[in-house]
Amino acid sequence: MRNTMAIMQRELLALFCSPIGYIVIAGFLLINGVIVLWTGVFSPGKAATLRDVFFWMPWVLTVIVPAISMRMISEEYRSGTIESLMTAPLSDFQMVLGKYLAGVIFFAIMLGATLVYLVLMAAYGNPDLGAAFALYLGLFLIGLAFTAYGVFASSLTSNQVVAWILGWVPLLLFACVSYFVVGQVEGWLRALFQQVNVIGRFEAFSRGLVRIDGVVFFIATAALFVFLTVKVVESRRWR
Amino acid sequence: MIEVRNLSKYYGSRAAVDDITFGVDEGQIVGFLGPNGAGKTTTIRILTCFMPATNGSATVAGHDVLTASMRVRESVGYLPESVPLYPEMRVREYLRFRGKLRGMDRAARESAIQRVVARCWLQDVIGRPIGQLSKGFRQRVGLADALLHNPKVLILDEPTVGLDPRQIRETRSLIQELAADHTVMLSSHILPEVEATCQRIIIIHEGQLVAQGSPEELRAKVTEGTSLIAELKGPVTDVSAEMRKLAGVTDVHAQAIDGWTQVTLTTARDVREDVYKVSQEKSWPLRELRRDIATLEDFFVKIVAGTRV
Repeated sequence: MRNTMAIMQRELLALFCSPIGYIVIAGFLLINGVIVLWTGVFSPGKAATLRDVFFWMPWVLTVIVPAISMRMISEEYRSGTIESLMTAPLSDFQMVLGKYLAGVIFFAIMLGATLVYLVLMAAYGNPDLGAAFALYLGLFLIGLAFTAYGVFASSLTSNQVVAWILGWVPLLLFACVSYFVVGQVEGWLRALFQQVNVIGRFEAFSRGLVRIDGVVFFIATAALFVFLTVKVVESRRWR
Repeated sequence: MIEVRNLSKYYGSRAAVDDITFGVDEGQIVGFLGPNGAGKTTTIRILTCFMPATNGSATVAGHDVLTASMRVRESVGYLPESVPLYPEMRVREYLRFRGKLRGMDRAARESAIQRVVARCWLQDVIGRPIGQLSKGFRQRVGLADALLHNPKVLILDEPTVGLDPRQIRETRSLIQELAADHTVMLSSHILPEVEATCQRIIIIHEGQLVAQGSPEELRAKVTEGTSLIAELKGPVTDVSAEMRKLAGVTDVHAQAIDGWTQVTLTTARDVREDVYKVSQEKSWPLRELRRDIATLEDFFVKIVAGTRV
């Protein structure tokens, strides 16, 4: 446990000691701000809800989340520090878990910064806090799954940029494009896209509906990719 | 402390380490010598549980590297060849991080850090980011990390590579001091380095173990068939003929050098006295008489050139 925490702390330190962490947060908040202006949720007469803003959020997160996790494992390979990690008394699972938790915490901090809109909304209007909670829970669950996938992408290569693209493109294709594709196809493809349709699942949350199959889907996806990352890291030893 | 039996490691079909067997006793400093690409780092990576072997087994401090990997990792301090460190961390932060990874609590960690920082002369740089340190200091940070948990076995992969001569000497004396409390295995491709610090030398070449023993033993191996060089003032043919008559001389090579005759004798025993007597009897002045003692360097070069001993 202590060594998992050690990895997590170091990873957070690396994110906050390098420009990348701040660039990611700034980029995220900038895009958010633009969306807020564009959707005009603060215009007079509009309903006091962030639903319109956060509808776009999964798209943004496909780019942002892999940027958080891209260097986590790839950089260890590139700089050779993986050697001192893998010869220290901690299991590959503990190492991956520590890194994953750091990514989740960073994501939560970043997401927490958008609470300012909710606070403003509460100051000038009367938002439904229950619905807002469901919205944030949905986003956090997306963060859990995307971060796990991002860490997985990072374990596949020793190049950060490649890790970022490997994280971003499949997330975009599966999680977001499937939202549009799901109505166009039939049979098993439809069943598949229905399952991986992140935006569709998130819509339920954004309506204030916490659906158990959604919760299970995101947590299970996160667990699957953490597991796969451990397997990739382990398999690297045998090469 | 370290037991290696029939260890092999293949990368694809190429054998990086090919069936090597050796042992290291407690408290020894053992040098692992071989030219670049001989399989030293691969062997070390297997011993430190970084990668598994293809064949064979190895135990470190009584634990098998494959089945009791965590126990091995707990008892080994390892300095990898490239000294991988996180450039954005400060020295103190890094050592704390490594201490936590090793499961040490705060008190144990802080006292261990104090100990290794003093030992590796890091006091002046403890608050500096690692990325700003010179190669020599980085090497010491790596060594401090390897010593942090006071391991039974220290495995150092090319600990002095890239250091200046003064730092090399400091590192060497540090390693010798450490041998009092730890079993040390260090690798190198530079012979004098290993000769100066180690009690035992294991030489590998192209993945195979070609020789092992103390520096003296290895030197003795090469000195068999020592040659003796003498220069006498006499006709080449006569000198050569007289030398052949001496008991124990197996081969004579003679050549004329500005009026003198230089003979190189291959002998099974020490014939210096006999050569002197010949020079007396024949009244051939003698201006040089020396034994050509083989150095470990010759031995090493011979091995690297492909001669098995």
